[in-house]
Amino acid sequence: MLLSESARVTTAQEAKFRIQYPNSKPRAVKVIALDTQSAKLVDEVSTLPWNGAAFFKSLSFDAAKGTNVKAWLNDLAGHTADLATEVANADCVVVISGAGQDAHSVSLIAELCTQHHKTLVALVVPQDAARDDEIDASLRILRPHAKMLVIAHGRDYIEAMLTALRA
Amino acid sequence: MLKKEQNELVTQTGPGTPMGDLFRCYWLPILLSEELPENDCPPVRVKVMSERLVAFRDSEGKLGLIDEFCAHRGVSLWFGRNEECGLRCPYHGWKFDTTGQCVEVPSEPVESGYAKKIKLKSYPLIEKGGVLWTYMGPPERQPVEPEWEFCTVPLNQSFTSKRLQECNWLQAMEGGIDSSHVSFLHRGDLNNDPLFKGAAGNKYNLADSKPVFEVVDAPGGLYIGARRNAEEGSYYWRITPWVMPCFTMVPPRGDHPIHGHFWVPIDDETCTAWSFDYHPVRALSDNERNAMKDGKGIHVKYVPGTYRPLANKDNDYLMDRAAQKAGKTFSGVEGIGMQDASLQESMGPICDRTKENLVGTDNGIIMARHRLMRAAKALRDKGELPPGLTVDHMKVRSAAVILPPDQHYKDAAKEALIAKEGVRQASV
Repeated sequence: MLLSESARVTTAQEAKFRIQYPNSKPRAVKVIALDTQSAKLVDEVSTLPWNGAAFFKSLSFDAAKGTNVKAWLNDLAGHTADLATEVANADCVVVISGAGQDAHSVSLIAELCTQHHKTLVALVVPQDAARDDEIDASLRILRPHAKMLVIAHGRDYIEAMLTALRA
Repeated sequence: MLKKEQNELVTQTGPGTPMGDLFRCYWLPILLSEELPENDCPPVRVKVMSERLVAFRDSEGKLGLIDEFCAHRGVSLWFGRNEECGLRCPYHGWKFDTTGQCVEVPSEPVESGYAKKIKLKSYPLIEKGGVLWTYMGPPERQPVEPEWEFCTVPLNQSFTSKRLQECNWLQAMEGGIDSSHVSFLHRGDLNNDPLFKGAAGNKYNLADSKPVFEVVDAPGGLYIGARRNAEEGSYYWRITPWVMPCFTMVPPRGDHPIHGHFWVPIDDETCTAWSFDYHPVRALSDNERNAMKDGKGIHVKYVPGTYRPLANKDNDYLMDRAAQKAGKTFSGVEGIGMQDASLQESMGPICDRTKENLVGTDNGIIMARHRLMRAAKALRDKGELPPGLTVDHMKVRSAAVILPPDQHYKDAAKEALIAKEGVRQASV
């Protein structure tokens, strides 16, 4: 009996004939800590080998030059980078917030993500002693802005997510 | 994306593998009660997690799940005679009871005690909610019996089916926690399938094809919330619980029964997709039960006499390009269950996750894989038992709710996500 095409091509033997080639270009993932608690996590995660992911541990604003707020990202080596440029050049922006920490700067990042059509993923990382109301406070701030919002316990999840995203 | 060794870790469930050991911590569904309908009925071959077994119901109604092959010369006991409280090998008459103990070796004198020295591997087999469940781990770790709501409601309130799925368990299970595909792959069925249509929530599904996700660690696994816009100033949430390692529930629609799945490895290249429907507070109507038997909703039509779907890889899933072009089905395959299975099987027997390009909205899948790997390693390295073994972890429900924007489902729908006897599901 002749096998159908679907039966013939879904064997382990046929899987070997899949073309081996890199089917995606390296992508630019920008990881931004929104507070000092998450800056520590970002600092730790950044020491692993990544495919070009950029890690920023703080955000500062400069509103003195006019009505448009200018925001600067500070990387782990102490260099500053223009937030707007970094978002414009990103494929995906990941912000990390400690539960109950001040995460209001996400609104500016989100505005730029919308402007440049970038996906914003937000992670809330509660400390062991974090209270529910602290987690809720973070969620309330992040929810209007994030396409994907995750409450994840521990640094290892951040690593797993960034690995999965080929960061 | 997973590294090759990570993909092997999560997809291999044979004896002695880390994920196999993890699965062997749980009671798993392996047969429908209808497959062993009466005492002394024919035995049934079962393969679970790469172990070949045979199940039978003896003359007193005791259930047995034992090594498929006779300890004498390796004959399959599927050919056995199920009689007088044991399964007798038809080759030379060796007989085994439900615990695998050999009770008769006709060629040897009874007084020799030879039979007592022969015992086949066996696993406990219990019946609950029209389903036969086994536990294949160490006896000292045997957990509490299954308390999933679908198998504890009266039988007239539930319907359970199973089907062969010809791919690794994980790629099948991942479809169950990937809510964003519904707006595409199943869009033709939301307003047509008798077990889905008519729900108020369907319009939100169809109107907003770009849901926003919130994933939260739950005691037994995860809650995956998909948020879509509802009326002005409110969100329509569909919340899917995943309980480790392989239980998922689909958020309900209207007053239709709630449904969900178990994905149980047969071996590393096939699995059994279990599909259950139940209503927490009422009997299923004749129309609902007939629709389920007819393969509607998440169930399928079978090749007669088997649990293999009628639409399968051997007939190209009865692909209907005209229906696809006309928009009756999005993929050309009919039926929600086979729409999923056809695509998952097309990935190959074991999906090569090294080539994936996941996006931010795949975080539910990323997180589930992470939880599985973490639990498998903790069991292997520290002997830590995984989540999903206790009654409170099993007493979960999916939910569909409308909430104001400032409320998180994990709090606002907290009660709705717990299965409570006599309480209706939260649904839109």
